[in-house]
Amino acid sequence: MTAPLLEVENLRTRFHTPDGVVRAVDGISFTVREGEIVGLVGESGAGKSVAGASLLRLVEDPGRIVGGEVTFKGETLVGFPDGRAEAGDGSGDDADDRWRDDVLSAEAIRRRIRGREIAIIFQDPMESLNPVFTVGGQLREFIELNRGLTQGRARELAVDMLREVGIPEAEDRYDDYPHEFSGGMRQRVLIAMALACEPSLVIADEPTTALDVTVEGQILELVADLQAKYDTSFLWITHDMGVVAEICDRVNVMYLGEIVEQADVDDLFYDTSHPYTEALLDSIPRPDRPVDELDPIAGIMPEAIEPPDGCRFHTRCPDARAVCTEINPDCRPLDDAGRPHRAACLKHESVFGAGYRESDPIENEAAGGFDVGRTEEGTDD
Amino acid sequence: MNIYRYALRRLLQAVPVVLGIVTITFLLSNAIPGDPVQIMLGPSPSQAEVEAIRARYGLDQPLYVRYVNYLAGLLQGDLGRSIYYGVPVLQKIQERLPATLLLIVSSFGFAIATAVPLGVVSAKRRNDPTDHVARVVSLVGVSTPSFWIGLMMILVFVYHLGWFPATNLVMPWAPPSALPAAETRVDVLLASAHHLFLPTVSLGTLQMAAITRIERSAMLETLSEEYVRLARAYGVSERTILRKHAFRNAQLPVITILGLQITTAIGGAVLTETVFQINGMGTLIVDSIARLDYPTIMGTTVVYGLVFVLGVVVTDISYAYVDPRVTYGEAE
Repeated sequence: MTAPLLEVENLRTRFHTPDGVVRAVDGISFTVREGEIVGLVGESGAGKSVAGASLLRLVEDPGRIVGGEVTFKGETLVGFPDGRAEAGDGSGDDADDRWRDDVLSAEAIRRRIRGREIAIIFQDPMESLNPVFTVGGQLREFIELNRGLTQGRARELAVDMLREVGIPEAEDRYDDYPHEFSGGMRQRVLIAMALACEPSLVIADEPTTALDVTVEGQILELVADLQAKYDTSFLWITHDMGVVAEICDRVNVMYLGEIVEQADVDDLFYDTSHPYTEALLDSIPRPDRPVDELDPIAGIMPEAIEPPDGCRFHTRCPDARAVCTEINPDCRPLDDAGRPHRAACLKHESVFGAGYRESDPIENEAAGGFDVGRTEEGTDD
Repeated sequence: MNIYRYALRRLLQAVPVVLGIVTITFLLSNAIPGDPVQIMLGPSPSQAEVEAIRARYGLDQPLYVRYVNYLAGLLQGDLGRSIYYGVPVLQKIQERLPATLLLIVSSFGFAIATAVPLGVVSAKRRNDPTDHVARVVSLVGVSTPSFWIGLMMILVFVYHLGWFPATNLVMPWAPPSALPAAETRVDVLLASAHHLFLPTVSLGTLQMAAITRIERSAMLETLSEEYVRLARAYGVSERTILRKHAFRNAQLPVITILGLQITTAIGGAVLTETVFQINGMGTLIVDSIARLDYPTIMGTTVVYGLVFVLGVVVTDISYAYVDPRVTYGEAE
């Protein structure tokens, strides 16, 4: 097992909206080691993408990182002075005086980290390329910037990379514009962009969501090949358990800004320890099950602006008991055997000892259908 | 297909538009109430005089014959003969058009040179004091009539401060000998700029304000695009993002507005020319309408129609030049 490349500790990012404070990322911790593909899984709105953007300090107004620590290759990307963890002052993320002294400045992040060390692939390949510049030109610009190459050399490399990600006639396509590429081809270009800068870590923010299934398969295969070749680490953000099974080494499951289960990919699938993860797995359509056995997760996710008291999932959880409405469990290791399997669920009585077994089950309104969005209190007993 | 063929195609497509302009102009000017012959001859002319004038200008013929004759004349560059001035309309336009074009071009130049940076800075410093000032300036600019700005500037800069001449223009291509104080070409250019300054600002303020507003909102929109986020994520500096990644995309709506502003500028030029007593197309049109000088009214309108159509074609071509997604019309 290699040393962690990226360590995220208790990261918190909030959005100050007119309706209130949205706690998009609310104290998540995870690591990515060298050469690993780590999944960050959850429904839309769970805070996965904000978490990804926070790592590069790319959170846009009115969002702001308010707490926690991110270290990457021994350098601190996010960190707060002691006693000022809740730095909710007026300054934006660019103001360097918000951060602890050893935290990289905004300029250093831009020059040394973004693209060069940590590259990002966004969800929508149709919108991620600038329509008025050629595909090759955009690729070349980022290579030039992040590899310090001359224009001519960067161009050669750009063509090589296009060829490598499977763009046919790469030399000719170099001067084409984005609208002349299909969605899958554009996503290949974005992958080429990420890998051409030779970063240590690629944050892939739902890169296959906008693509159809056959193209998705090709892209996953391509990434697996390239990952093996370049030994780049990936943080793979997705809502698709199928993709997770196919590509990830370890997985973090997110719900409403928190990580609820953390495990190696096999453990996650065969020893599922959080009801939310179970629900995610049950909602995957499979050929061996009829559709009426398909079990979508009841209700919709409450808003992170007023998360439910207690365990955030209790409003939709089939296993919820009275105690779940009071205690919000943290993500704890499930055994001492050194297995890196953690879960945040009180039903693991031996770990939490919160009195789950004696507690009464609660009637979950949401269990009945899709119509209930926010049942903050559950029922009273 | 390359951009030259595209330009040629757009020009050919503009021919029916021009024909439409000519036809409508012809019909409308014949629908104006009042008899030009009566105006020319004064009260109670003899019947013979009236007949002679009608025959001389072809007014005794039926409408469709006159229409065909007019079209035939146009094709040969003949816009008819001015009833009031007694010279070919084309000659009159050749005299007057350069001053107006100079005024319009320089007001556009002024508007673009000030509005584009103002809009970009305003978008970049959104909700900062700079942005508020820029927004107030553009709001005032859009809401103030150009003739009022002209009058106020004459009052302040000509009469009170005496910094600028109030009337007429000096053409930059005029021979130095035509000006009392000029000896070289540079002197002429300076004098020309001096004369042109106030009318330019007066006419250009509206354009400037309109473009600033569009530039600001277009920049704000592109700055929130995914490809700008991507550039930021790859370590591109804010300066480069502003100048390169966001700027070019943001110019598309600005180009559209520029094309539409040609009409506003043509209309505004009439007022500006009147305020600054410039002998341009605007004054020619106003005077001809007052005198029911049909051939001149038609001639000037047709020429303005041509200018506008050309402006639209240029707009389309710039659009295609800036945005590669605009196809040059080739079949899929």
